[in-house]
Amino acid sequence: MQIYVCVKHVPDSAVNITIVDKNSIDENITFLLNPYDEHAITEAVQIKKNLPGSEVIAVCLGKTDARNTLRSALAMGADRGILIVSENGCDSIETAKALKAAMEQDGSPGLIFTGRESIDAEGMQTMFRIGALFNFPVATNVVKLDIEADRAVVNSELSGGTANTYDMSLPCVIGAGRGLNTPDYPTFRDVVNSKKKPIKTIVFSELNIEASLTGANIIELEPLQQKREPKEITGDKAVIAKEIVKILRDKAKVI
Amino acid sequence: MNKKYDAIIIGAGVIGSPIAYELSRMGYKTLNVDKLHDAGEGSTAGSCAIVRAHYSTADGVAMAYEGFKYWLDWENYLDNVTDEKGLARYMNTGSFLIKSQGHDWKKVKKNYDEVGVRYEELDNDKIKEMVPPADLHEFWPVRRPEDPKFFDEPANEVEGAIFCPEGGYVNDPALSAHNIMRAAEAKGAEFLFNAEVVDIRSEDGKVAGITLKDGTQIDAGIVVNVGGPHSFKINKMAKGVWEGCNIKTKALRHEVMYCPSPDGYDYLNDGYHMSDGDIGCYVRPEVGNTFLIGSEDPDCDPQEWVDPDDFYAGKGGHGKDNVLTEEQWKAQCYRLGKRIPTLQVPNQPKGIVDLYDCSDDWIPVYDKSDLPGFYMAIGTSGNQYKNAPVVGRMMAELIDACEKGLDHDNEPFQYKFKHIDRSTDVGFFSRKREINYNSSFSVNG
Repeated sequence: MQIYVCVKHVPDSAVNITIVDKNSIDENITFLLNPYDEHAITEAVQIKKNLPGSEVIAVCLGKTDARNTLRSALAMGADRGILIVSENGCDSIETAKALKAAMEQDGSPGLIFTGRESIDAEGMQTMFRIGALFNFPVATNVVKLDIEADRAVVNSELSGGTANTYDMSLPCVIGAGRGLNTPDYPTFRDVVNSKKKPIKTIVFSELNIEASLTGANIIELEPLQQKREPKEITGDKAVIAKEIVKILRDKAKVI
Repeated sequence: MNKKYDAIIIGAGVIGSPIAYELSRMGYKTLNVDKLHDAGEGSTAGSCAIVRAHYSTADGVAMAYEGFKYWLDWENYLDNVTDEKGLARYMNTGSFLIKSQGHDWKKVKKNYDEVGVRYEELDNDKIKEMVPPADLHEFWPVRRPEDPKFFDEPANEVEGAIFCPEGGYVNDPALSAHNIMRAAEAKGAEFLFNAEVVDIRSEDGKVAGITLKDGTQIDAGIVVNVGGPHSFKINKMAKGVWEGCNIKTKALRHEVMYCPSPDGYDYLNDGYHMSDGDIGCYVRPEVGNTFLIGSEDPDCDPQEWVDPDDFYAGKGGHGKDNVLTEEQWKAQCYRLGKRIPTLQVPNQPKGIVDLYDCSDDWIPVYDKSDLPGFYMAIGTSGNQYKNAPVVGRMMAELIDACEKGLDHDNEPFQYKFKHIDRSTDVGFFSRKREINYNSSFSVNG
C-alpha cells in the first residue's frame, strides 16, 4: 500500500513572530515539521511495519526551504519525499488540489494522512478538501486507528472530550490528532540513513492545476499578545497539591 | 538626603549575593541593586550550574575544588538560614572528563595531582559499565551537521576518561542565589530589586555612589560591578574604569538544549555529568529524565556577541535573539546522538538561550579598578557558577584589604582557601593582565 503523508513546513511556535506588510511574517526564523504531522508520520510508519511491501511517501507544498521539513519526515521513517515548490502562498483550495495532483502523478494512494491542523494557519481544511477531491471518506482528530484488510476503524475525538468510532473503506483520509501516538523521533543513525532517501521536486506550475473561480487571501494578520498572569497558590501542602492537579487537568489539560 | 551604605553591589546573581553575604559578615553595610525582580533571575537562572573540577590551570582547578566544599555543606555555609522557597540541592553525580583531543586532559590530570583532587582513570569498558548507552568511538574533530564530514563513520575509540567521584550540578541555580541572599539578609545585607543603575558617580577621584533610572541616588564609598552580561556597560558608566582594563568583557549568546533520555536509561538518577570535548558537548541530568546539553564552544560554531538589553528584549532576529535555533539544536543534539546512539532528537528545539559575560581570555576579572572604591567580579564566561561562594569570600577579603591600603596592583592579594590547604594569587584575575594563553578559551575555562 502506498501511504501518503501530507506535511507542512511551519514556524516554530517558540520563535518571536514579526508581521511584515500587514499580511505576512518575517520568515528569517526557524521552521519545523508541523507537530500534528509528526503523529501522522509515526502512524504511517507503524502501519507500514504491519503491512510488508508498503511505502510511506511524505508530500509537502511550500517554498524551497520546506525541503528541511521533508528531511525531518524522512528521518522519522518516511521512505521518500515529494516537494511541490511554490514561492507564493497557496490557499486551502489550491493546496489540496496541488497535493492531490502530486499524489496522483506519483502513484496510487491507499491511505492518506494529514495532521489535524497546521499550527500556523490552523485552517483544518486540507484533509476534507483532499477527501472531497478524491471522493474518499475523511476523519479528523483521529486518536486511534486500526487498519483491517480493506477497512479502517478510527476513533475520532470531538470537542468536550467525547469520541466517535467510524468504520471507513480504504482509501481514506486521516487527520492525525495528538492522542494517536507518541511521535517516534529519529536517532542520529536514522538521520544518517535518511540522507540517502530521495526527494522529488515538482514545480507547482508543472502540475497544471486549473485555476479556481473562488479563493481566499490573507488581508491582515494580528499578533496574539498573550499575557502571563502569575497567581500564587497558598494554603497547606495538601490544598496546594490539589489545586495544581486541578489546574493541570482542567486548564492546561495535560493530565 | 541620599541613603548611604558602606558598599553597593550591582547585581544579585550567584556572584553578587555571596559578595554581599561575606562583606556583611565582615561588618560592612551592603546594598545589592538588581534590575530584575528577585535574586538569581538573570543569567544565573540560565546557568547549567555544573560543579566540576577540571580547568586548564592549577589555580582554576584549586578554586573549583574549594567550591565543592561549599556546595557539599550548603546549609552550614548559609549559617542554617531559612529560605521560604526552600534550599537548592547539590546533586553529586560524579563527573567524567572524556580523554580526547578536545581537552588537554593530561594538563588537567597534572593539575588534579598538584591540587589533590580525587580522581580515577577509567578504560572504555569501565565507562560502558557506568554509562551503558555510550558509544565510545572517537568523533573528533568537532564539526557541524552542515558539513558533510559530520556524518563520516568513526574508526578509532576514545582513550578512556578521568572520573571524579565529586562533581555534579546544582538543581536550581536561581534558588541558590536566593538562598545566599537570605543568608546575607540575616547578616544585615539589603537588596533592592527592579532598580536599574544608569550612572556610577565619583567625587575627588573616588567612587561616590550610584544613580538609578528613576533618579534615585544612593551613596557608598565602595561599588562592586557584578552585572553579569551587563558588566561592560556598567564599567563604562564608571570614570576611567573601562579604559583601565586591559582585559575587556562582552556578552556572548549561548544555547543549551534539553533532549529526552533514551527509553530504558534513567539518566536523571543513574547518569553523570560528562565533559566530552570529542563531541564538543557537556551534559548533565535534568528533571523529566532529560539530557541538558551544553556546548564547549568548538571553533566551527558561530559566536554571536550581542547587546544584552536587546537580547533580553528578544531583538536581533534569528540566531541573535533569545530564541533557540534549529541549526544549533541539531548541532548539539546530533553531536550527543553520536555518543548516545539511542538518543531520539525531537524536531522542535527545547532549551535555554542566555548570555555569558565573556572576558577576552575566558578567565574572569576579580579585581579593583582604576577608580578607587570601584571593584569588579566580571567576565565569568559561563564557568564560574561553581566558584560563586569562593569568589564571594575572596572578593570580600580583596575589597577589605584594598580599602585598608593594600596596593593590589603591585603587591597582589594572596587569598588563602578556607577548605583546602592552598593559597591563590588574586593577581591572576587582574584586569591589567595580558591575555592568558593557557586558557582553553571556552566554557571550560
